[in-house]
Amino acid sequence: MLESKAVTGPYWEQPDPEDERLAYQLEHGREEHLLLDARPPAELNQVVLNTMQQTGPRFWVIIAGLGAMTLAFLIAWFIQIISGLGITGLNRSVMWGPYIANLIYFIGIGHAGTFISAALRLMRMDFRRPIARAAETITLFGLAIAGLFPIIHVGSVWKLFYMIPIPNQRELWPNFRSALFWDMTAITTYLIGSTLFMFVALIPDFAMARDHTTGWRRKLYGALALGWRGAEDEWHRLEVVSNILSFVIIPVMFSVHTGVSWNLSMAIQPGWHSAIFGPFFVVGALYSGVAAVIIVMIIIRKTLRFGYFLREEHFNAMGIFLLLLTLAWIYFYFAEWITNWYGNLPMEKAIQQMLTGPLAPLFYLMLFCNIVVPLATLWSRRVRTSLPAMLVIGIFVQIGMYVERVLIVAGSLSRNELPFNWVNYTPHWPEVTVTIGTLAFLGLLYALFTRVVPIIPVWEVYEGQAMQQVRRIGRAIAPTRTEVH
Amino acid sequence: MAELMLLGLFDNVETTADVLDEVRVLGVKDEQITVMSNVPYAAKIFGRKPARLWFLPFTLGGAGVGALLAFFITFVTPQLYRLHVGFQELTPVPPTAIVFFELISLCTMLGAFIGFLLQNRFPILTRRMYDERITEGYIGVEVRAPLGVAEQVVKVFEAHHARVIQREDAANFKPQGIRHLLFWGAVATGGAVVLAIPLLLTYDVVDIPWINTMADTVAVGAQEGPRLAAPAESVPIQGPVLIAGEPATKPLPATATSLERGKALFAINCAMCHGMAGDRQGAEVGKYFPEIPASLGERAAALSDQELFLVITKGKNRMPGLAENLDPGETWDVVNYVRSLSQ
Repeated sequence: MLESKAVTGPYWEQPDPEDERLAYQLEHGREEHLLLDARPPAELNQVVLNTMQQTGPRFWVIIAGLGAMTLAFLIAWFIQIISGLGITGLNRSVMWGPYIANLIYFIGIGHAGTFISAALRLMRMDFRRPIARAAETITLFGLAIAGLFPIIHVGSVWKLFYMIPIPNQRELWPNFRSALFWDMTAITTYLIGSTLFMFVALIPDFAMARDHTTGWRRKLYGALALGWRGAEDEWHRLEVVSNILSFVIIPVMFSVHTGVSWNLSMAIQPGWHSAIFGPFFVVGALYSGVAAVIIVMIIIRKTLRFGYFLREEHFNAMGIFLLLLTLAWIYFYFAEWITNWYGNLPMEKAIQQMLTGPLAPLFYLMLFCNIVVPLATLWSRRVRTSLPAMLVIGIFVQIGMYVERVLIVAGSLSRNELPFNWVNYTPHWPEVTVTIGTLAFLGLLYALFTRVVPIIPVWEVYEGQAMQQVRRIGRAIAPTRTEVH
Repeated sequence: MAELMLLGLFDNVETTADVLDEVRVLGVKDEQITVMSNVPYAAKIFGRKPARLWFLPFTLGGAGVGALLAFFITFVTPQLYRLHVGFQELTPVPPTAIVFFELISLCTMLGAFIGFLLQNRFPILTRRMYDERITEGYIGVEVRAPLGVAEQVVKVFEAHHARVIQREDAANFKPQGIRHLLFWGAVATGGAVVLAIPLLLTYDVVDIPWINTMADTVAVGAQEGPRLAAPAESVPIQGPVLIAGEPATKPLPATATSLERGKALFAINCAMCHGMAGDRQGAEVGKYFPEIPASLGERAAALSDQELFLVITKGKNRMPGLAENLDPGETWDVVNYVRSLSQ
């Protein structure tokens, strides 16, 4: 039998060092690092549960606003269904407009969620701990809303069953040679996989919520927690199943946006038919997705008062992540362009209308938002840790990436191979209403979701706190992390 | 009251490990002890062995099911409903690879998830020993022991300042047994029914006449509406051409090469409505248009070459003009092939 160590208190009640300088350093470290600043779980559980249960009038005002915008989207969609797609600005050449750009955009912002959770989990990045769930939620609703756009876009919604991926029964259009079908399988796989991944990590938090709520919530969480007790075997299996899901879902994540890009690049259309489109889209998706996660982090930190969980270190880490993705995106965009430009094919040159033609303002706006703004600011730690600055940068990246999708879809189509088909596309009111309305719909679903589900994965935070300690090196105190398997 | 269930709550992993050591000395087996916490502590921390895992059969089984499903979609279905697109084979390689990848991934994840639930015996339908303070960070130790040993275990718990000690007759906690089986049986049956209904419809086991409005759509033919005059600066081209208002001239002789070209072009542009032999057999689109002639050769025999050329270029009734798809030379090849049908 091993001799017991002197430490007897729980991990959140560790004694401070006696040396005054070290105690001061530790104090400072606790302010900076979430994982050093351990507090009783009983207290933190309540912090998270209170945000779910206490809902002020401001929340309902926001819900009403988002709900009204969602209603506007539904009305616009209804009018479009009864009048036909003719009321939109879509035409024979630009038959794919903002609806398909929205599809790409929403799948894109859905990408970062699972990437942050799964990849950072496998790489054992501690900064993911409080962020993971907020990011996964974007994946969930981003994908669900992206799934609406093919339905909106087909116009005749009653012929929707043509899209169902059973190939040949109707012996007509839906056959699995179509890139649209590959895309649909990929998105379905990703949606189901992300949901499983999210649910598995939610089970211990549902158990936490079950133990500390009453009434209908207790019943609901009790059912969702499936009888979780936190036994060591249960934890062991949870870790293993999360790792398996992470390993499988990362290639699926890559396949999803590659599949989306193939919808475009499999067509012999100038500006689309390019081998680099798959990886380029994946990087673009991660780029806009990470920016979206930053925006959401700022919003939930402000509105739910999660200053304890979401600290400067997390925004700093996400800022560095975003900066890396900016560089990757620039590289891919440049690599895609330079081939066309150097080749000097007349067809491909048509897309260079972006440099001087009617689309030039949008093109330069995109370059400004996606390249100038992040590169000019994100190198500075002071910017990365400032919430207002990060919010503005995040919104710039969203605008830039949205414009990029519109340029790729509508911009390329407006200059196709046959010059007599060249047109300039302008969106009409249905596209504008639907686009803004679906963004509001995403916000609405997200806001309601935070009332029901703990948006911070508290057990992951506790795990980090229980496994992290400080170690004295010379005159300094440094955090050390431990892993026992 | 032969056996007791005990639950003690402790502050700290060190204390818990000490308690476990001492309880083991009392002769309680490892299987009778459960440690509960709100943090995933590895079994090693408490000096215990981790549970044996059974994920491999579940993930492999899932992957196998996924591969079977993909095989069914990509190989079996095209054989059941043959749809020839151009000159491609029924099961082309790139889409097949993608469908295999996605379905194998999906079913691997589902398999791992189901394996997770089954190994943990989730959902738990019976009452089990538990204390809500475990999710507040305290570590629970559950021990199942005969009466005499249990008293000693309680002493160990007390010696290590257990926060709470629950004790209850072990007979109050029944294993899940048949209820669990019934639950999963119901879930599996429900899932099978939900999956089976669309599949029965899809594969025509249950035949429903789907609404199809293709024949009712208003098509605007190329021949309708005012035709624009050629711009003044346009350049006349050489060879057989179609000049507005004048009959088409210079038919090609029906040589073997022309007929062969005509047959290939007919397969691409015409066969989906008229059928390869002009008799609507095997024509997928043609099924919905009863007015398509049952014998194209006979219908064509009543027309001159120039008239046939005009019908192909400009369309007739619901047949679209093919001027965009066929240049005049190719059109004459098709005319030759159509002529050959009635011979």
